[in-house]
Amino acid sequence: MIFEKRTERIFLAIFFTIALCIPLFLEANSFFVGKVTTILILAVFVMSLDFLVGRVGLVTLGHALFYGLGGYLFVILTPEYEAVNFWVYAFYILGLNALIALVIGAVVLRTSGIYFIMITLAISQMAYYYFFDSLEFGGNDGLFIFMKPETSIFGLSFLNLDNPTHFYYLALLAVLVTLLAIKVILRSRFGRIVEASRLNPERTEALGYNIFAFRLISYVIGSTLAAYAGLLFALQYGYVNPQFMTWEMSGTALVMAILGGMGTIYGAILGTITYEGLLYLFEHMTQDWMLLMGSAIILMVLLLRKGLAGYLEKLLEK
Amino acid sequence: MSRITTLASAVLATTLTAGFSTSALAAAGDPVKIGIMLPFSGIYAQLGEAGRDGLKLALKEQAEQLHGSKVEFIELDTEAKPSRAPELASSLLNQHEADFVIGPVHSGVAMGMIKMLRGKDTIMIIPNAGSAAATGPLCAPNVFRTSFSSWQPSYPMGKVALDKGYKKVYAISWNYGMGRESLDAFEESFTAGGGEIVEKVLLPFPSTNFQSHVSDIADEQPDAVFTFFAGGGAIKFVKDYDAMGLRGKIPLLGSGFLTEGTLQAQGEAAEGVMTGLHYAEQLDVPKNQAFREAFHTEYGHYPDIYAVQGYDAGQAIASTIDQLEGDISDKQAVISTMEQLTIDSPRGEFTFSRAHNPIQNIYLREVKDGVNVVQAVAAEALEDPARGCRI
Amino acid sequence: MSTELFFVQLINGLQYGLLLFLIASGLTLVFGVMGILNLAHGSMYMVGAYLVWYFVAVTGSFTASAILSAVIALGLGILIERVLIQRLYNRNHLDQVLLTIGMIFVFNSLQSILWGNDPYGVAVPEALSGAVPFTDNSSYPVYRIFAALICVAIAAALYFLVSRTRLGMLIRAGESNREMVEALGVNIKSLYTIVFAIGVMLAAISGIIAAPMRSIVPGMGESVLITCFVVVVVGGMGSIKGAFVGALLVGVISTFAAVLMPTMSNMIIYIFMILVLLVKPQGLFAK
Repeated sequence: MIFEKRTERIFLAIFFTIALCIPLFLEANSFFVGKVTTILILAVFVMSLDFLVGRVGLVTLGHALFYGLGGYLFVILTPEYEAVNFWVYAFYILGLNALIALVIGAVVLRTSGIYFIMITLAISQMAYYYFFDSLEFGGNDGLFIFMKPETSIFGLSFLNLDNPTHFYYLALLAVLVTLLAIKVILRSRFGRIVEASRLNPERTEALGYNIFAFRLISYVIGSTLAAYAGLLFALQYGYVNPQFMTWEMSGTALVMAILGGMGTIYGAILGTITYEGLLYLFEHMTQDWMLLMGSAIILMVLLLRKGLAGYLEKLLEK
Repeated sequence: MSRITTLASAVLATTLTAGFSTSALAAAGDPVKIGIMLPFSGIYAQLGEAGRDGLKLALKEQAEQLHGSKVEFIELDTEAKPSRAPELASSLLNQHEADFVIGPVHSGVAMGMIKMLRGKDTIMIIPNAGSAAATGPLCAPNVFRTSFSSWQPSYPMGKVALDKGYKKVYAISWNYGMGRESLDAFEESFTAGGGEIVEKVLLPFPSTNFQSHVSDIADEQPDAVFTFFAGGGAIKFVKDYDAMGLRGKIPLLGSGFLTEGTLQAQGEAAEGVMTGLHYAEQLDVPKNQAFREAFHTEYGHYPDIYAVQGYDAGQAIASTIDQLEGDISDKQAVISTMEQLTIDSPRGEFTFSRAHNPIQNIYLREVKDGVNVVQAVAAEALEDPARGCRI
Repeated sequence: MSTELFFVQLINGLQYGLLLFLIASGLTLVFGVMGILNLAHGSMYMVGAYLVWYFVAVTGSFTASAILSAVIALGLGILIERVLIQRLYNRNHLDQVLLTIGMIFVFNSLQSILWGNDPYGVAVPEALSGAVPFTDNSSYPVYRIFAALICVAIAAALYFLVSRTRLGMLIRAGESNREMVEALGVNIKSLYTIVFAIGVMLAAISGIIAAPMRSIVPGMGESVLITCFVVVVVGGMGSIKGAFVGALLVGVISTFAAVLMPTMSNMIIYIFMILVLLVKPQGLFAK
């Protein structure tokens, strides 16, 4: 069983049951389906961050770089008025993104701790300013994606990305695949070495493992998952903007991950839903929603030692 | 515990309305729903609030022309964040089924909104964002603008500079849509008349570290400086310009936002700055005096340009409803009615161009004793060229 | 670039750098002594600027307003440390990050509720409003020279405090060995409260000094925060000397970049920081 904890199993069972059924009760074009789709996409992004921060031990404040890059690479690589194949191009984009992550990772992983936080932030800010200042990529206005890709596999098409319900399930599938992928990686020999190097780097090194290489591969994996989330987000509304890669975006994702319970992976889903839910609620209550949101965050830090997942586990585990 | 229950039920309630209220189309007798998508927090919050207040004032004043229609406002804070724009626009379109959507301030947000609303049944009225694309390549039948295009306030200033005898101008702004478009518009008319741009500097947005450039200007000694900056940047630039001793030596010209809503903070440093804009607070138009007093009575302070633009968005809605006698169910009729309107604006009357941008006067103003005093009409009934628009 | 202009720009850069140092000093002090990464540090800068604007509007005196604002900031620092930060000393860095992000939200909201969202400016105090002739074409404002001197004075005072006083000795000891300080019979809790409050006050003083030169707008805190982090990281986290050198370097580099390659100037300080970290992964003056 790759889901060790009872809480985890209960939460995921409830989550996937509800998530599978949501479109059955809601009109396809409703705002709500779109909103939940966005939350699911964000959950993929936050899970990838949780993997890096909570399990590999790489606290990055520049993760949104890859989230933004997923969308921009699509705009850059595809012709403007021609529908391309989603799977083929997702493969290209993620491959290219992995290459970029490999180069960046090789640079940033030379530092650690707070310096790692800052160097990742610096690189994402550079990319942000690059796209912000570039005329050919739409500058601060961003760019439109005019044609949504088609999704046929060997001539068979199951998904129509223009249909919000189909898109919703594509996002849900991404959540499932990301969750399973991270879980499988963590349980593998590779994952155990990665975790060992977070908990006790000296010993792992002494055992003959090249920590740098393990961290670099993990960094590439986390960044690629983030880029997939970014690609989906860009396609959902057909729109990319440099703001998607700001440090505020990375910071918000970090808040969601910590709220959910760092390193628990499923907590990232919980954290994303809670954060977005509170935001929606407060924004519809008052213009001063920031005061409520800030207070809620502060209260949760003070009251929940290990995030929401930690709290649930206290209730459900013995 | 009870608080949590309340929260939970509130979530549930919003969720349910979100899910199940989407079917019926707005029939006659239903309230007119106006969605407001403006920044109420962050750096543009003041602009957002002014726009909303102006909008609400117009609909309140003209409540009797609405043929019994009630107006319902839905306000959403964009935080000036483009990443949230499509989602919020979708909320107004699909969840609230707004008849009109007013917004935004920020042109990146405008892109996200247009992406969502273009070609839909909801009428979008932009009360500020001046990006050329909105009424250019991305123009659409259901997208209107009551503010300006970035081209409009700056283009006439090229001729103004030439008339004053300036031959060499140093142009400086932020490197983003509005900044680039403003400098380009100035350059277009200025160089066509034989002027020369000696230096064109585009600073990264929103950097306000202007000191080194002001020193550079002092060194370069151009005949004049042309600039677009707004808000906090405008305050900082004008103060730096003065602090380095350039005021009174090298004339400072600009797109009007340089001295809008910022004069109090700029203080004496702004004296003598000349700008072009489609409005001035002291504009001698009867409608303007009436509007300013009404706004002051309602909100306790005097309105600015952003309030005017919001007010005119409200007037456009009210007049359209009035002419259609309260029945706005036919969106085609709404669009063609709105296209024909002449808006009795505090800035003077204006009409909409083919691309739905205002055809309006641009005034040359000069700051005297802390007020933008109108010197002349820099361009009469100026129409944006709407390059790339195909309607 | 003429030699004359070169020197003007150099002075611009140094003056900007000194202000950056003042903002960054509190951040690095708090991190060095307490290990707290305070993302809300920029908000304290904002609070200082808004407070002084408010009191100048009420009292008309810049000096009185500046002192009053600094004292309020000190009190605010004590309050925040006692009510919030103190509870997190045994928790990991990420909880501190989360808490201070929450604080950014709260302070931004309070700013909007208390003072509205209009942009404000503070007039330069009468006595300092002149300008000294500088080159043939330009003059340099007296207030900026004054501000630079104040920054130098505070840097000197901070150096004196850390290296020559009993409090400084405790701070230095507390950095390396918490238990030892406790064993000396010093209440480490009070020490932390004092250090945090001084950090907040330093940020607020920067806001106060910057107020007449800059515009007071919502979001002004976040915009200095990142630059500050660059300064502190370049210098080496926790090192006051590092922050000083880092601030001057960042100030001068970004000033020259702004003139020589304006479209790149946003990126230049990040490129600079990455280069520094590649050569010295712990910053220039790492401990």
